[in-house]
Amino acid sequence: MSGFRLKAAETGGKALHFTFDGKSFVGREGDTLASALMANGVSIVGRSFKYHRPRGIFTAGSEEPSALVTLRSGGRHEPNVRATEIELYEGLEARSQNRWPSVRFDLMAVNQLAGKAFSAGFYYKTFMGPRRAGHKATQFWYFCEQFIRRAAGLGKGATSADPDTYSRMNAWCDVLVIGAGAAGIAAAGRAASAGARVIMCDERARGGGSLTGAPELLDGQPAAEWASDAMEELAELDNVTILTRTTVQSMFDGDTYLAVERVNDHRDEPKRHQPRQRAWTIRAASTVIATGAIERPIVFAGNDRPGVMLADAARRYAVEYGVAPGRAVAVFTNNDTGWLAARDMARAGVIVSAIVDVRADVQDDVRKAGEESRAEIFLGAAITGTRGWQELQGAHVRDFHEVSNTLGGKKRFIGCDCIAVSGGWSPAFHLTSQQGGKPQWDAELQAFLPGEASANWFGAGAMAGKFGLRNAFRTGEEAAVRALTQAGFGEGESSVPVIEGDAIDYAPAPVLEINSPGKSFVDLQHDVTADDVRLAHREGFVSVEHLKRYTTLGMATDQGKTSNVTGLAIMAQTRDMSIPEVGTTRFRPPYTPVALATLAGEQYGHLSTVRRTPMHDWHVANGAHMYANGPWLRPESYNAPGETVEQAYIREARKVRESVGLVDVSTLGKIDVQGPDAAEFLNRIYSNGFAKLPVGKARYGLMLREDGFLFDDGTTWRLDEHRFLMTTTTAGAGHVMEHLEYHRDVVWPDLKVALTSVSDEWAGVAVAGPKSRQVLAACVTKCDVSNEALPFMGVRTGEIVGIPVWIARLSFSGEMAYEVYCGANWGQALWDALMAAGEKHDIVPYGLEALSTLRIEKGHVAGPELNGRTTPGDLGLQGMVSSKKNFVGAVLNNRPAMQAEDRLQLVAIRSIDGQRIIGGSHLVKGTKDEPGLSEGHTTSTCFSPALNAYISLALLERGRARFGEKMYATNPVRDSHVAVEVINPHMVDPKGARMHG
Amino acid sequence: MAEIPDRISPLDGLFEPGDFGAVTNSPGVEYSQRLCGALVQVQAWPGTTGKVEAVLKQVLGLPVPKARLAHMKDETILMSTGPGRWLVDDEMEGLEEKLRKALPSDLGALTGLTHARVVISVSGEKAEWVLSSGIAMDFHVNAFPGGGVQLGHHHEIGVTIHRLGANHFELYAFTSLAHGLWHWLTHAGAEVGYRVT
Repeated sequence: MSGFRLKAAETGGKALHFTFDGKSFVGREGDTLASALMANGVSIVGRSFKYHRPRGIFTAGSEEPSALVTLRSGGRHEPNVRATEIELYEGLEARSQNRWPSVRFDLMAVNQLAGKAFSAGFYYKTFMGPRRAGHKATQFWYFCEQFIRRAAGLGKGATSADPDTYSRMNAWCDVLVIGAGAAGIAAAGRAASAGARVIMCDERARGGGSLTGAPELLDGQPAAEWASDAMEELAELDNVTILTRTTVQSMFDGDTYLAVERVNDHRDEPKRHQPRQRAWTIRAASTVIATGAIERPIVFAGNDRPGVMLADAARRYAVEYGVAPGRAVAVFTNNDTGWLAARDMARAGVIVSAIVDVRADVQDDVRKAGEESRAEIFLGAAITGTRGWQELQGAHVRDFHEVSNTLGGKKRFIGCDCIAVSGGWSPAFHLTSQQGGKPQWDAELQAFLPGEASANWFGAGAMAGKFGLRNAFRTGEEAAVRALTQAGFGEGESSVPVIEGDAIDYAPAPVLEINSPGKSFVDLQHDVTADDVRLAHREGFVSVEHLKRYTTLGMATDQGKTSNVTGLAIMAQTRDMSIPEVGTTRFRPPYTPVALATLAGEQYGHLSTVRRTPMHDWHVANGAHMYANGPWLRPESYNAPGETVEQAYIREARKVRESVGLVDVSTLGKIDVQGPDAAEFLNRIYSNGFAKLPVGKARYGLMLREDGFLFDDGTTWRLDEHRFLMTTTTAGAGHVMEHLEYHRDVVWPDLKVALTSVSDEWAGVAVAGPKSRQVLAACVTKCDVSNEALPFMGVRTGEIVGIPVWIARLSFSGEMAYEVYCGANWGQALWDALMAAGEKHDIVPYGLEALSTLRIEKGHVAGPELNGRTTPGDLGLQGMVSSKKNFVGAVLNNRPAMQAEDRLQLVAIRSIDGQRIIGGSHLVKGTKDEPGLSEGHTTSTCFSPALNAYISLALLERGRARFGEKMYATNPVRDSHVAVEVINPHMVDPKGARMHG
Repeated sequence: MAEIPDRISPLDGLFEPGDFGAVTNSPGVEYSQRLCGALVQVQAWPGTTGKVEAVLKQVLGLPVPKARLAHMKDETILMSTGPGRWLVDDEMEGLEEKLRKALPSDLGALTGLTHARVVISVSGEKAEWVLSSGIAMDFHVNAFPGGGVQLGHHHEIGVTIHRLGANHFELYAFTSLAHGLWHWLTHAGAEVGYRVT
């Protein structure tokens, strides 16, 4: 192919400079990278996937299988971009892929010599071997694999961070119109005239679709001008939103669509403050799908050489971009549109050397179009092979009988550097297929049509198998009327233009392959040949789904847009069946490749959801290392300069045991439970009794799931007769709220109970340690905090520096402790007041690690023990399971298996020789080399300053009967095997004197 | 008696007045924030909705709005947020106590949420565009008219939205999540330019 800029277009548009593989070129404004390369005579754009054969430009749109390039560099490096879709901009930088050292001279093309080895199923035959260690064949393949994988492929991913931003948009409309060609414009206009909210999307930079290069006159105007005016008129309407450069990628349930707008891909970098791409989620009451059709090739030997391309693409390059796809173009077709492409190219100044049609005869007006092109006409003939290597030099033509599908006569050579092929048109119903729409075969059009609508969509134009401009306008309006009815609107007004131009038959001859010697490619992107399809059949792959996976036909970035039907045709012929009998595969979303960043949008990095307590900034300013606990950020420890996390938490925990510490517990789930039946509700929810909890008292409660396993725990405070404040674990708050709401709404709808999350209403601070009462006494007013006035589990109100507070005497640490709650906006003031009050006692803030250490020492359970597989009995809490009342989980908690003696039970273990116990260790009896079976595992591990030893809570078979037993905590993954003693989990103050004092 | 400290908004320190993003002549949106003097959720039991409405009318001096609408008077906003459920935003403190006295627990429940929310005002020509970019809700005036109230969310961040006018919204954001919501608003507003007041 030796493309060039046609004379008439040489002066049009602003010159734009770009590079391809480091070489500088000049294109024109309005070019795609493909048209600009073609205008500069660049014929080889990339190398093929397996064989590294030279590949050129095959199409002019998003269906491109071959011309994949890497665009930009650095963080904006993007592989596998279709050159046919890249709008040229000043300074564009593109590189070819999958070649070494260059696209014109690629050493990996040696792969072609091993062509047979790379046939269908190569991957499965090669990489599926025994995995036994020491198996020599497997080792050899593992060695080879790295080279094979390097040799194949489709470009390389970026390695540096993407500097661009990506955005989202939610949109609703009455009528969504997908495709802004003739049918789409007609549909949008009709829908808008009825007053409906219309969104129209089109993947190209400008609307118009095939009208932009059509030879017809519309209302006496050239089609392109008419389309431009129509788009402008639509854009001016308040009820119409037009999204160009926007591909509707996916159709989902509920008439929801994902569209990707390439906001700034046509620039070297996004405009300041603008996203690179925007993902639109569109909810439509009804939809008109006018996505047109994709031309498909005829398969013949040597059909992958640079210079072989689709006929309509060749026509578009000539007519729309002013670029000749070659010095001499041969058209090979099985339908009338190939002839019109030849005529339109000739009108634009392209030399069309030949028209080869498999049909024995054509209609007069089609023949006339051929004559106008001044091409040599070959009727009842087929191209059987091509000549050339890096450049196409010509084609071999032989007589062809379309009914018997046989070749005859002498081979004749025609010189050409471009073959424009048309094998008919496949309606682009990818979206409806994604939703499970079963395609129906149309024998006349030799194409699958979308079939029955599975949602509120209506097909129009070529997508629905209605080809030609007249059909497009008619069916576009018809679909709009149906969509309007669906959305509850009137019919609107018709405004179909008067069309002057061709009226042709789009039905092709049923010929999709010319079977002749040589490599005939079906899927250009994955190097799948017609022989591969036949080989798959011989090897027993008769299902079309299996064929796809075995040969990889129709996979990769183009999803077989130009290859599926031809592949099916060959499969059908091989199996001696019809194409509909063979069936077709289902298209998967997205329609074209979508960057992961576009899908992630802004829900990434600093914009991901994080919850912060009112004291967050103080924690950070005071050396806290923040740690994610569910969605919350909590201080892990407050590290002094040079202090490790372990040193810090040991210091903090020791200080709490010796004096007093302060911890931010604002993250605990807090649920306001109110109503005349609130006490009864809680009594049914918790395994222990709550009906008689006095006002001003708190109680620790256990919640079970319906299956009898532990679900969550926490304290609930009775604030008045009908009002409780329930606290939950930090990470479990959302689940507990759902659990409560479900039971309130579904199981006991007769109970008058209101449930409201008040987690954000209250800031919470726990003051713990033997000096905690003195700290409170120094700052609390309107509340007596003495042991008599505020006993263990008591709840009172008071004030601290004028701030109204709730004070509950609760202890997670095993020390005397209080939880103080105030309105969240005063959280920092409360914290400051408590810190000031504790100054003379050397009060320390402590983080999650110290909090955890203190509760492990005390044997209090938390998330690691409430792991969804434990029962109250397992954790030594059976005494909190009432036998006198019914509650959620009561029945199934009584199953014999839940009460079995050999269940894993809560114990503690202590390192015997001072070695660290690694989290996630298993408890075994054996040595490091022969550890034996696991009899349990650790759950929460720390260094205990109180015991001066590494300890861990653990779950151990029959654990409570094994105190004093010596075992090993083994963790082979981390190469740890520590001698431990099984001990009672209540390691510090087992009688509770410290917290009750 | 100690003077009660000032309440601190979760957005204090983040709200820097000025113009940001792609502001040319005028910003696409303007943001401001406020804390409610009192924010109270009122819930009726099945069968007591009428009686609770009467209490609300009597205490607030406002007619009770229909579903998904708000009524405003002076410094009080009464929003209907669900069947038998309302949110009352009052500039003055003490509303919760006033309502609790008037509403016995056999009629309904009251929950104070004064500290649980911060109100972010979003106004301007591009307000609808900015909010649509993160909240999956139909902001078209036909679907969400002025005076309307909707419950939505930005990803996991729940938010109650009151539309005061064609281009003016107030977002009742959860206190612990307000930081994230604010960052998103600045990110979303940068494309059209935003002013913080």
